[in-house]
Amino acid sequence: MSFVPGLGIVKGMAITLRRFFEPKVTIKYPEESPDVAPRFRGRLQLLYDEWGTLKCETCFQCAQACPIECIDMGGIDTRGRYHVHWGPPETYGERREESALRRSGRPVPDRAFHHFQPVDLGAVDTILDEHDHDPKRMLEILEATQSAYGYLPVAALKQISQKTGAWYAMIYGTASYYGHLRFEPAEDAAQATAVAAARPPDASYVTALGAALGGANGRPGARGRS
Amino acid sequence: MDRLTTPAAWPSILLGRANAPDPTDLDAATRDGAFEGLRLAVRDLGPTGVIATVAASGLRGRGGAGFPTGEKWRTAASTEAPRRYVVANGYEADPATFTDRTLLELDPFSVVEGTLIAAYAVGASEAFIAVRAGEGEIIRRLEAAVADAEEAGFAGPDVLGSGHDIELRIRPVQGAYMLGEETVLLKALEGRRGQPEQRPPYPAARGLFGMPTVVQNVQTLAAVPWIIRNGAATYAAIGGPDSPGTVLVQVRTPVGEGIAEIPLGTTLRELVALAGSLPRGRKLKAILIGGPSGGLLPTDLLDTPFDYGPLRDAGAHLGSGSIVAADDRTCVVDLARLLTRYCSSEACGKSIPCRIGTRRLVEIADRIADGRPRHNDLGILVDLSSDIVGSALCDHERLTTLPLATGMRYFRSELDDHFLRSSCPAGVCHPIAVTAATTH
Repeated sequence: MSFVPGLGIVKGMAITLRRFFEPKVTIKYPEESPDVAPRFRGRLQLLYDEWGTLKCETCFQCAQACPIECIDMGGIDTRGRYHVHWGPPETYGERREESALRRSGRPVPDRAFHHFQPVDLGAVDTILDEHDHDPKRMLEILEATQSAYGYLPVAALKQISQKTGAWYAMIYGTASYYGHLRFEPAEDAAQATAVAAARPPDASYVTALGAALGGANGRPGARGRS
Repeated sequence: MDRLTTPAAWPSILLGRANAPDPTDLDAATRDGAFEGLRLAVRDLGPTGVIATVAASGLRGRGGAGFPTGEKWRTAASTEAPRRYVVANGYEADPATFTDRTLLELDPFSVVEGTLIAAYAVGASEAFIAVRAGEGEIIRRLEAAVADAEEAGFAGPDVLGSGHDIELRIRPVQGAYMLGEETVLLKALEGRRGQPEQRPPYPAARGLFGMPTVVQNVQTLAAVPWIIRNGAATYAAIGGPDSPGTVLVQVRTPVGEGIAEIPLGTTLRELVALAGSLPRGRKLKAILIGGPSGGLLPTDLLDTPFDYGPLRDAGAHLGSGSIVAADDRTCVVDLARLLTRYCSSEACGKSIPCRIGTRRLVEIADRIADGRPRHNDLGILVDLSSDIVGSALCDHERLTTLPLATGMRYFRSELDDHFLRSSCPAGVCHPIAVTAATTH
């Protein structure tokens, strides 16, 4: 084809002009739902398992994971039926509330958890009151709890998490990091040996250093002070 | 811990008041110049003047990294924030060193005053002195010192009529070696698990509770009042050109040990001689500088000045200020293995090269010391060390490789004896017996 000046731009603009008069494909998503093919992989739908029960257990994990909180429990299943809620209907409201609470980062009472150690949590509440329920003073709270119980009972940590709003995982992380905090009573000799083997105390390093330097050194004991 | 006799010409800045009969007596200390620096700072210099004076003195952080103190304060003071903090790091992580503890015990007022001046200069309303929780006597003395200072109007609301409130608190911390690292210490003060943070942003820009925080070793802060009293130029004239001033060291040789205040730039030879000469028949073999993660230097390097730059070039670091001289009864491989194992077991576990890499270093050192090395162990040791250094998150991780790296660099023949001939010249390791038992 011979060169015609301006033909390319005319062709391009023709396409633009045609599209201009075609109906729009953009929809306002949450209000209007698109008609997607049934086998489209991106289709949002609830599935049934081979026994015909819904696979969704309404655990609200997806709702919690959604960063912009657009997921909620309710929608059209594969058989075209609208479900407002499922799972045990009488607890739906509770579960939904729990999900909202979890999304806000606060701990929720966990009914699956039973205090497996019969621990009187009164001391923890007193300590928390003294420390203003402030998670920034967690180390002091944990130290006070340890001096009250002799160790850190799991139930006490749960209670601290409950009352201060700090995540249990963070509290556990703090409590398990510091060498002077322990999760078992001091009189549990087997545990104490295991802990000492995993985390040798500073004194053992000082002794080993003395031995490596030839034994007869200026420092006979670990703590010689003038 | 005994104090070593130093030449009379050496200045006494940190331990100037250390001979006082009662270190917690505020009146005696004030007669001796305590809180004179704070008074001068508030009356004459003002916050910017204090920072300018400290910067002009060339004071560098005594925690080991050697960051210029004035620059750190300037960063903290110039960062816009609703609150600022000052943290004095008196948590001496190295269990075999007592320099910071000696300073806190003998002269708590200098640390308290230095912390107050720092808080006044950067505009901090809260200051903490972090100390080891096990040191009951030091905590008692510090708390008494703070209470006295508050009563005398040096701390608390409206410091010396400047309209500036400084709340000074003693925070006993314990439970991990890593608390000596600044970002880890801040985590502990926030009540979280002690793992270091990526830097930058440095704590001076974003530290405790996200606010600008000046974290300084107690030795650095204790030098500040002296600088304010005697002028920046006087301080800058002491010690080395790039890093003026004095530092507390703990010298340990087979014949004795003790703590001394030395001007920076003193040669290692002089420092080792402070603790007495070796008995006849014993030869000096290696010098361990910087605590558990320190470098092992050979006797050829005895003329290295004890200073940030030269020590780093030689493969060691200031660290905790401990200088350990080992004689020929010590096996370098055994010592390096012990140090690496300690550092590795104290790793916090945040970054993988540290958590796993240093474990592998210990295993390689174990194999070499036990006389059953693999043929490529030395190559792996070199590669792994450089990988750990290259991908390190904090200095602990970077320095953990030092004992083995400097051991390889300076004591290659001894390493080769273990590696190639399965023998230990010092007779400490028992490679031969182990090799015999595991012969295939």
